[in-house]
Amino acid sequence: MRSVWAVIRREYLQRVRSRWFVFATVGVPLLLVVATAVPVVLASRNEAAERTIVVLDRSGDIGSWVARALEKGGYVVEPATPIDEERVRRRVESGEVGGYLVVDRESLVAGHAKLVVNESPSAFRQLGIRQAVIQAALEFQLVGTGTDVDQILSGGSLEIERIAGSGGGMNDPAFAAAYAGSFVLYMVILLYAVAVMRSVLEEKTNRIVEVILSSLSPWQLMLGKILGVGAVGLTQLAVWVVVGGALMVLGLPALLAARPELTAITSGLPGPSFFVYFLIFFLGGYFIFSALYAAVGAMCNSDEEAQQAQFPVMILIFVPVVALVGVIESPNSTLSVVLSLIPFFSPFLMFARAVGGAAPFWQVALSIVLMVLTLLGVAWVAGRIYRVGILMTGKRPTVTELLRWLRQA
Amino acid sequence: MTDGYAVRLEGVTKRFSGHTAVDHLDLEIPRGSIYGLLGPNGSGKTTSIRMIMGILLPDEGRVTLLGDDPAQTRRAKVGYLPEERGLYKKMRVLELLVFLAEIRGVPRKVGRGRAGDWLDRLDLGGWADRRLEDLSKGMQQKVQFISTVLHEPELLVLDEPFTGLDPINQDVLKAIVLEFQDSGMTILFSTHLMDQAERLCERVCLISRARRVLDGDLKEIKQRERTGVVAVSFEGPADWLAGPEVMRQEAGPGAIHLVLREGADPTGILRRGVASGAAIHRFEVVEPRLHEIFLRHASADMPPVPATVSR
Repeated sequence: MRSVWAVIRREYLQRVRSRWFVFATVGVPLLLVVATAVPVVLASRNEAAERTIVVLDRSGDIGSWVARALEKGGYVVEPATPIDEERVRRRVESGEVGGYLVVDRESLVAGHAKLVVNESPSAFRQLGIRQAVIQAALEFQLVGTGTDVDQILSGGSLEIERIAGSGGGMNDPAFAAAYAGSFVLYMVILLYAVAVMRSVLEEKTNRIVEVILSSLSPWQLMLGKILGVGAVGLTQLAVWVVVGGALMVLGLPALLAARPELTAITSGLPGPSFFVYFLIFFLGGYFIFSALYAAVGAMCNSDEEAQQAQFPVMILIFVPVVALVGVIESPNSTLSVVLSLIPFFSPFLMFARAVGGAAPFWQVALSIVLMVLTLLGVAWVAGRIYRVGILMTGKRPTVTELLRWLRQA
Repeated sequence: MTDGYAVRLEGVTKRFSGHTAVDHLDLEIPRGSIYGLLGPNGSGKTTSIRMIMGILLPDEGRVTLLGDDPAQTRRAKVGYLPEERGLYKKMRVLELLVFLAEIRGVPRKVGRGRAGDWLDRLDLGGWADRRLEDLSKGMQQKVQFISTVLHEPELLVLDEPFTGLDPINQDVLKAIVLEFQDSGMTILFSTHLMDQAERLCERVCLISRARRVLDGDLKEIKQRERTGVVAVSFEGPADWLAGPEVMRQEAGPGAIHLVLREGADPTGILRRGVASGAAIHRFEVVEPRLHEIFLRHASADMPPVPATVSR
């Protein structure tokens, strides 16, 4: 047991200490946060001058409507008449105000306006101003009809009442989360299963394995390796969850205060059950695929060879990814149910259905049982291939040779 | 533990697709001996050692280690230096040694202490925290040697331990091996360098083409294999060299070699020499070198090799 523990420990520490791991674990989420936060921050930067806009009213009546709409969008508005244009122009030139907006009769019927600025405004700003003009036009035209222009412009709303079954589709926030989760599962499982393969290959090509195998059995070595690398994966996921959780707790309220329109998105954020499913299916998928990849590594003598030999395993992991969108669109079709029960696909498809709330409990339980059984089978097969293959050099075995290995090992 | 043998192979055979690498090999290595497994490249040395180490399973026959079931004994009581050396290149020296000891059941603390002592002894003390890839080949080999003894094995199996080492380090290694023997350890090593074996081994096994050719106590083998060659150096008349005992004369290094007829007694020649008044500096029955013995036996089923008495 001490031997297996030593292998786990080595695999774990060697990886966790590497610069690559630190970058991927801390750097990537940080980069993501920065990449999403920077545009928002830049776009909504609240400089008084830029936020001040002069509305030059040529129509004589729509100006006040536009001003009100702009103010709702956070602008400071100064009204002006066409006579003032020269003076306003100079103020824009000197940077005293962010720009001036010319509205006329056409604004009322076509939502058209002219913005005079020093530098071309961001797309985000343009959109805000355009929306303000449109809103003003509609409000002006529909005044007295009781129309809620705000509500209509924000996209109306569709209330859904299900008579039977459960929903699905990308518009369902739960399924959007399931989709994202499946994808992360795919990436993390593949990443770490391939890491196991590389580790096996390294020991083989560097001829380390002979020393190791005189001290412990191939089975112990494979077990230690898979557990060690898996622990690295769990560490990484844990860091991501903690960082993500902290961001949500600390950053989200601030973000929502600044941009209330984002509230809709947050309703799709994953809850505790998401993480429980994620953990279960990560473990199941990782163990199955890492054992397969360990066997592939044991059969090969070089990275190039491994690239080719991993193809059949790649297919097993790739099919569910392709099928994912279809499964999410109609999570309860017979095809979706069957596919998600296939143990090699369950980590991605059953996960998506479970998180989306489409899979009844017995299906989730069944898929877990099937995964465990498959895992035992895969471990048996992979262990035998590993046992024989790990010391083989020379050409890669054919399928018939592989079958012979299974019998003799 | 009643078994007096550290390693015992009985009829061990290993076949790879198409050829037999080891053919019904019997081998008995007494405890406490230094045993050489000798043979040319491709004769089956490494395959035999891998079977002893349980890395390959024999197709036929049985391997016993230290009188016990090999699988149990191997990990804790056997140290192994494989022919193809390899270490984790990215790991630091001390860290690697502690790991390799740990998978053999040595607690980390103990392993660290022993590894430090050994690194100091082999002049690698300053390299403990460097990565393996920063070390030279020879240094890496010394590190690998250290890794084989950290768990204080009873049996040390060294596959071609001297290749890749400079003469100074070869001597260091030899001294360590002899010291181990004094402390009761059994050492099995393989080599294709007969000179090395001759200087170190008590017992040898010669294998050629997957089969055992000869084995036993090196001194006895040499006795048995004595060919009847006498090296003579002298000043004065030379006519006494010729006689009924002598088949032919050859010029050896700094001496004349007299090749005797089978069963001939060399004392008659010496008597004639003394009588002739020659000043004899050396008159010595030459022991055959292992190299020659090997060639003599291996050539029986090998393509003909010029079997000279001396090089």
